[in-house]
Amino acid sequence: MTYTTAIFYFFASILVFAGLRVITARNPVHAALYLVLAFFTAAGLWMLLEAEFLAITLVLVYVGAVMVLFLFVVMMLDINLEKLREGFWDYLPLAGFVAVLLVIEMALILGSRHFGLEVMGAPAPHAADYSNTKELGRVLYTEYVYAFELAAVILLVAIVAAIALTLRRRKDSKYIDPAEQVKVKRNDRLRIVKMQATQKPGAGEDGA
Amino acid sequence: MISLSHYLVLGGILFAISVLGIFLNRKNVIILLMAIELMLLAVNMNFIAFSHYLGDIHGQIFVFFILTVAAAESAIGLAILVVLFRNLHTINVDDLDHLKG
Amino acid sequence: MESVGMDWAAIRTVVWTLIKILALVVPLMLGVAYLTYAERKIIGWMQVRIGPNRVGFQGLLQPIADAVKLLMKEIIIPSGASRGLFILGPILAIAPALAAWAVIPFTDSLVLANINAGLLYVMAITSMGVYGVIIAGWASNSKYAFLGAMRSAAQIVSYEIAMGFALVGVLMAAQSLNLSDIVHGQSGGLHHWYIWPLFPLFVVYLISGVAETNRAPFDVAEGESEIVAGFHVEYSGMAFAVFFLAEYANMILIAALTTLMFLGGWLSPVTFLPDGIVWWLLKTGFVLFLFLWFRATFPRYRYDQIMRLGWKVFIPITLVWIIVVGGMMQTPYGYLFH
Repeated sequence: MTYTTAIFYFFASILVFAGLRVITARNPVHAALYLVLAFFTAAGLWMLLEAEFLAITLVLVYVGAVMVLFLFVVMMLDINLEKLREGFWDYLPLAGFVAVLLVIEMALILGSRHFGLEVMGAPAPHAADYSNTKELGRVLYTEYVYAFELAAVILLVAIVAAIALTLRRRKDSKYIDPAEQVKVKRNDRLRIVKMQATQKPGAGEDGA
Repeated sequence: MISLSHYLVLGGILFAISVLGIFLNRKNVIILLMAIELMLLAVNMNFIAFSHYLGDIHGQIFVFFILTVAAAESAIGLAILVVLFRNLHTINVDDLDHLKG
Repeated sequence: MESVGMDWAAIRTVVWTLIKILALVVPLMLGVAYLTYAERKIIGWMQVRIGPNRVGFQGLLQPIADAVKLLMKEIIIPSGASRGLFILGPILAIAPALAAWAVIPFTDSLVLANINAGLLYVMAITSMGVYGVIIAGWASNSKYAFLGAMRSAAQIVSYEIAMGFALVGVLMAAQSLNLSDIVHGQSGGLHHWYIWPLFPLFVVYLISGVAETNRAPFDVAEGESEIVAGFHVEYSGMAFAVFFLAEYANMILIAALTTLMFLGGWLSPVTFLPDGIVWWLLKTGFVLFLFLWFRATFPRYRYDQIMRLGWKVFIPITLVWIIVVGGMMQTPYGYLFH
């Protein structure tokens, strides 16, 4: 067993375990954390496939942003966990059967007869100065430039939609606009009054 | 040596796990969203494996777009979830039957 | 190659890498220890106090004494806490803070791993630091800790965007993601450093760095006068110390990255002096001094003001400046920007 093979099996077993825990964990927070583990492990496997840019992007986008969002929502919701898990064990036999059947069918097709090393050999590793990022960028900004722009528009729509859906001005709490507060100048709040100094009648005569 | 079929079978197992997850957690929208993310991960795994073994970078471009769309999808999905919880105080799929005729 | 036991070359690589990692982590931890000392001394002087001066000459052994004290204290796990996650929290806080150092170059040759996508790697790894805070806050089963975690998560995710955009400007100027190449792009003396063409990005990056490490004036995640100590209120002894170490290791990391990307790394500011790690240390020390100076000077921001600053001020500034840099590079004055 070579080094790479050992790493592959190590990562693959963690990935499958994390995936199983995502769907069976009792607490959604644990499920989300196992999903984080799954993404991180998958990024490791993508590194083995020499897709550095996407592996790092997966960690940056999914682990660093999307899953934080998930955790944020999951932690803030006060949900009745028992009610949501009703029927979990009732469905298990049928669902398990379907899943196992799915795996067996796919393994028959995807097994080494059609996609093994004899049919499709491992490519030679790239030279040390090969930059996956550069290659990806070259294709992305030439052949796929319109698709790339479309993806940007989709993201923009998602941003607008997510904010539009969740934004609400609460009537029951006093709302202060921080922008207005920060912009306040001294002269808005403070008025300096100049006035003639006058002496009280009688004061300053005897000094006591 | 690791062959292409190793990665494809791993992707298949992940896909089956997420299908199983959708079966088992039919009532919990959050877990459903997570299962979908897992499913997309399985698909991406296949794309990258093919891209590597065929020496063709276009597969990775597709993964790039899938990641973009999936991120947008989960952002909107979570936003809908939050609004849902705010209005109904539940995320149980069984309770979402207000539209039935 | 058939049996693992005989694979001497692989074993030697692993052992050699471990030695290199140790050679990096031990000085880093010492640096963290003495950064706490420097912080107490400098802020002391700024407030016309003396600072620690009892343990050892001028208090120089104070950090060691603190570390020993924390090591001997009991780690209390609250009865309502989620045990596994409670222990995982500090581990997840310190792991990214250390892992990011793998790609930081100190000089031309002194770097643990000189990888192509070094900048991306740093961004990805540092974006994982937020998990330590979230998990610690949630697992503590305490309202204060949870509030701190939520504040911190929203703040870190928000400022990461501005930070990422600032880095986009740097990689446009350097036309590389490799940290050594970014430093080499700034060779030729003080006026070639990226701080000048990318000055708005530099300011945004530095302030976002302060926010990202939860340092004053952005320390609402801890906010001892509002939510006691935020996410680590339930931690004691070494578990608390690990959070502490992570915060300071992150500070040094941000300072080092600022040095590499805007201040020319190990390059000397004038051409007649040789380059060397001395410059790297001096510049990083200066940025760290700024961090301490901020803490001694500014009162804590209110939370909604922090969010406004991140989303409505910093992100637009970085976006505009990226367009300016991109546009200028197409004109005859493009040489000014790289």
